[in-house]
Amino acid sequence: MEASTPAPAAPEITATFKILIVGDSGVGKSSILLRFTDDHFLPPEETSATIGVDFKVKMYDVDDQRYKLTIWDTAGQERFRTLTSSYYRGAQGVILVYDVSNRQSFESLDTWVDELNTYCSNEDVVKMIIGNKIDKEAERQVSRKEGSEYARKHQTLFLECSAKTKIGVQQAMGELVGKVIETPSLWRKSSPGKGTVYVNDSVPSGLAAGCAC
Amino acid sequence: MDEEYDVIILGTGLTECVLSGILAVEGKKVLHIDRNDFYGGECASLNLTQLYQRFRDGAAAPASLGRDRDYYIDLIPKFLMQDEGLINVLVYTDVLRYLEFVAIATSMVFCEGKIYKVPSTPSEGLTSPLVGFFQKNNARKFIEFLLNWKKDDPKTHQGLDLDRNTMKEVYDHFSFNEDTQEFIGHAMALHLDEKYKNRPAKETCGPATMYLRSAARALDRSAGSPYIYPQFGLGDLPQGFARLSAVYAGTFMLNTPVDEIVRDDSGKFVGVRSGDQTARAKQVIGDPSYFRDNVRKSGRVIRAICILDHAIPNTNADSAQIIMPQRQIGREHDIYITCLSHEQKVCPQGRWIASISTIAETTGEPKEEISAALKLVGAIEQIFVSVSDVYEPAASGVDDNVFVSRSYDATSHFETVYNDVKDIYKRVTGNDLTLQKRPVNAEQEA
Repeated sequence: MEASTPAPAAPEITATFKILIVGDSGVGKSSILLRFTDDHFLPPEETSATIGVDFKVKMYDVDDQRYKLTIWDTAGQERFRTLTSSYYRGAQGVILVYDVSNRQSFESLDTWVDELNTYCSNEDVVKMIIGNKIDKEAERQVSRKEGSEYARKHQTLFLECSAKTKIGVQQAMGELVGKVIETPSLWRKSSPGKGTVYVNDSVPSGLAAGCAC
Repeated sequence: MDEEYDVIILGTGLTECVLSGILAVEGKKVLHIDRNDFYGGECASLNLTQLYQRFRDGAAAPASLGRDRDYYIDLIPKFLMQDEGLINVLVYTDVLRYLEFVAIATSMVFCEGKIYKVPSTPSEGLTSPLVGFFQKNNARKFIEFLLNWKKDDPKTHQGLDLDRNTMKEVYDHFSFNEDTQEFIGHAMALHLDEKYKNRPAKETCGPATMYLRSAARALDRSAGSPYIYPQFGLGDLPQGFARLSAVYAGTFMLNTPVDEIVRDDSGKFVGVRSGDQTARAKQVIGDPSYFRDNVRKSGRVIRAICILDHAIPNTNADSAQIIMPQRQIGREHDIYITCLSHEQKVCPQGRWIASISTIAETTGEPKEEISAALKLVGAIEQIFVSVSDVYEPAASGVDDNVFVSRSYDATSHFETVYNDVKDIYKRVTGNDLTLQKRPVNAEQEA
């Protein structure tokens, strides 16, 4: 499996995957997102630059097939655990992030796993646990072994990475997307249901609402 | 939360969340608090556990009903029409991207003991048994009048001034009898009682046109009603706007009691205290439940949520709206019934959720008042009846910076909610609400 930059003539998109990133505040969720999609790292004092970013789109090619990834950030709603249930809906992949230099963020994984199990509409959703900030090796509070054992216990994928130094980020996304592709129940039926209505942006006119009345 | 904000919003009902989203996009620093541990306040969509907590003192739901998480039961039953104002807000703010709308299968009206499909096109009007033989041609002329009406083209006005003429005068112009008037005023314009007839005609012609335009679009995609509905329940609407607010740096705190609205000596708003923490802001917006001293009661609404193991008899549909006009059931106010099913993803397969709502006219047993609707719905597995007080703000908020929203009324659509949003926005900011397309973040679409 290999990821490559988009070819000039855009091939047809095989499928669109919704991928979520969750985890405690400050573990580096937005940094992982930015590193993966833009190969960019924002210093901590510039994180307000992510205001207005709902999700990011990345085209991802695997075996001559092109996949469109929409990767959703928590928009700060993880801080007081107020993510909406609709945020989780329809996700094919979820990345749970903790900070290897922050024990508490690792211990919070239990509640994040619970929340995923409650809200993810598809039981086959692919989960991956990522220990971020391995560039801070001297301050490490969670060993690699501990992380991988936790992941095994909860039957999720596992990787360590550093959004700052790039290590592991592409590999993590590659493994996650690969697993989603291998799980057809997650995406084969992702086309809209029979009664779906496309609400377009034609604005009411004449006597209709908000105009004459 | 010990911080300074531009605006604090209390309650995560739809009105509050729409304002939260719009103000955050405009750059206001928003703190949004709800005492509940779920979004939506009085217009949440609840799972079974939450439903039984609210109506049955936390008793366990019968296992036969199935999985808790398969239910999204709306506390306030409403449908949207494609041409209503709230849809524009969804489009412009791009909150649409969080939602998937589906069509409601049929729109029906109760007449002389039976239910009939509401005619929504000139040709349906000509074949519907609801419109008497001698009225059919007039009905067609009226529908054409509405669809052709242009503000700046007096030729299309047929000598009627919709701002000055009453609806009664318009009915006389088209020689409509009581039956036809009933279906225009109640089934199309969705008025709850007869007061509209002596009011300016635009208050009826506007909504009736909205109905017709929405119906025309429904026809384009072979849907049987002008109504649409977000999968997984109406609770996704406030949640979508909450997400918008959060994306623009709004801070959300659920499960947070509001212990005190702090004011200065002159009564002006200072902040909100929860426990030993106080968040300060210039302004506060909230639903009536947070401001019991600043609201007055304007009515009562009866709502009954019914879990069924069948569709409403004679609808033949996975989803429906049925209007029971007041004259048909010997009341002063109409009764609305909505019915949803697994197709809208609000309950498991094999279940239907019917909701009955009307304005309370007596202080007696609420089930008595809605008996005609209960009969129509058929055998009921579980029923949850409530009578809610409807509140409106006692003051505009301009003097004390406390802006209270209105309770959700008995209407079957969102126009009154949207009007409240526009009204509060104007009082809070001093400007009319002009919707601006949410800026597309270049990186986002990279």
